[in-house]
Amino acid sequence: MNVARIPKILAYVGAILLSAVFIYPYYWMFIGSFRSTEQILTAPLRLLPEAFNLSAYGEIVSVGGASLLRLTINSFWITTASTAIAVTVTALGAYALTRRPKLLGFGLIRYGFLLTIMYPFMLLVIPVFIVMFHLGLLGTYTGIILFLSLGPIQFFLFEQFFRSFPRELIDAALIDGASELGVLFRVVLPVARPVVGTVTLITFLLNWSQWFPVLVISRTPDTYTLPAALLTMNSELGTNFQGIMALATLTTLPVVVVFILTQRRVMHGIAAGAIKG
Amino acid sequence: MTRAQPMPVWAHEMWRYRVLYLFVLPFAALVVLFGLWPIVQSIILSFASSSTAFRLSPDYVGLENFQTIFADRRFIASLRVTLLYTAISVVLNVAFALGYAVLLNSGYLKRGNTFFRLAVFLPVITPDVAGFIVWKWMYNQNFGAVNAVLGSLGLPMFGGIADTDTVLTALVAAELWKHVGFYTIIFLTNMQLLDPALDEAAKIDGATAWRRFWHVTLPQLRPAITINAVFALIQFLKTFTVVIVMTKGGPNFSTNFISYYAFQKFDQAAYGEAMAMATTLFVLVLFLTYFLYWVLERTDWR
Repeated sequence: MNVARIPKILAYVGAILLSAVFIYPYYWMFIGSFRSTEQILTAPLRLLPEAFNLSAYGEIVSVGGASLLRLTINSFWITTASTAIAVTVTALGAYALTRRPKLLGFGLIRYGFLLTIMYPFMLLVIPVFIVMFHLGLLGTYTGIILFLSLGPIQFFLFEQFFRSFPRELIDAALIDGASELGVLFRVVLPVARPVVGTVTLITFLLNWSQWFPVLVISRTPDTYTLPAALLTMNSELGTNFQGIMALATLTTLPVVVVFILTQRRVMHGIAAGAIKG
Repeated sequence: MTRAQPMPVWAHEMWRYRVLYLFVLPFAALVVLFGLWPIVQSIILSFASSSTAFRLSPDYVGLENFQTIFADRRFIASLRVTLLYTAISVVLNVAFALGYAVLLNSGYLKRGNTFFRLAVFLPVITPDVAGFIVWKWMYNQNFGAVNAVLGSLGLPMFGGIADTDTVLTALVAAELWKHVGFYTIIFLTNMQLLDPALDEAAKIDGATAWRRFWHVTLPQLRPAITINAVFALIQFLKTFTVVIVMTKGGPNFSTNFISYYAFQKFDQAAYGEAMAMATTLFVLVLFLTYFLYWVLERTDWR
């Protein structure tokens, strides 16, 4: 055998083994949702289920007081609405803040935001409960959606884009008599389409996974999302292995599909947003 | 003819760019309502009596909440285990990510590179609750996959999350699975910015691969190492989800990390103590982040 090929073979063996470790939990979860507890006890590592037993998916049509349909609709509604608001509000904010960073108050807003994202997120949620109480938004979709509309990566991606946007284009349009709104809609937005797309994707993926603010701001399971319901199922019905795996599969599937279809863009975007932050 | 007093420059500027103020208004409102107000609220409440926390003007008790938590031996233990867990996790995640990024970038893995990246990054975008629930069951003594694999290889059983001696290892592994892809991708992105000419020059000078990595590649990756270490520090200091899903602070309080303990206090309506713990953790995060940044920036890497 050619000695020069040994490092290459070793590299492939390592990478394939590691990838298998990273992917195996998904496989185990998916197969586990079709297998009864007894079947798993006898053969934990079986690669294919004995039968595609769908009973677990039937058992979870209702989870902890909310229907699976309701939870799924909540997940899509809360994620979509908070993504739309996050992208619009953050894009406008970052645009204004980078256009004229020295305007009175703009520096303060930026520092206030930076302080917010330094605060440990999980611990921010607790005082947010009290803020929501004062605002009368406890238990409402509005409260959950608005809270999920603020995020670091979104802001940094937009800020980075607007900072590198050629000034001359804006100035030329202003000299030609365009209004600020005209500049935004006819000069900046057409070029910003790719970054808006990337931020939308990333926000959707990140907000889909949110559960803690959902649990804290909700008053009843009627406003729970899939991950929030999965957590309550984990605490309350801790032994229904098959049902938990079925719900975990349903919770994971949408983001995995979206990610696989858009992986290059998502990974580039997250890395870029993180590095500039 | 009377002339109006000329407007001061700043007011003129504000009026001229009034549309920009309109653009920034919703963003500023979100920052104030769901960022600054809750932070101020939590700091204020850490000096207030729990039973009056929901009033607009609560009763202040000075440092009493802080005295209570620092006299609580369980909180001191919590502080200690949080720091230990963070130190182990930061080092392991950054080292693993660096090693794996070097492997993926080595040129040996041209075919399938996209797949390898996808596999390591997939857990990052997976809902954390779902990922950790699967790991919780994989660690199960009776039918978890982990012990089944160890058993079939003839290795000793792993205690997983049921045993105080192994629970930290179990959480470190599950969280590495969840987060290491993020750090790996940051290293890979940074490696695309490396100057290949430097490596070539060292090669011509007869430097071995190891020496080239240590003296040429690594110093260039310094910004990425700093970013990753700081991100990892912030990430692991506030470890929460893995605990609430897998161990609930147990067994025997061995994984009772600060953010989980603060949440427990909140759940028991001890708002003052919960906020005092939150404030302590916030100060700890700020201080350690700054300290780590300072150390990494000062280290001589050559």
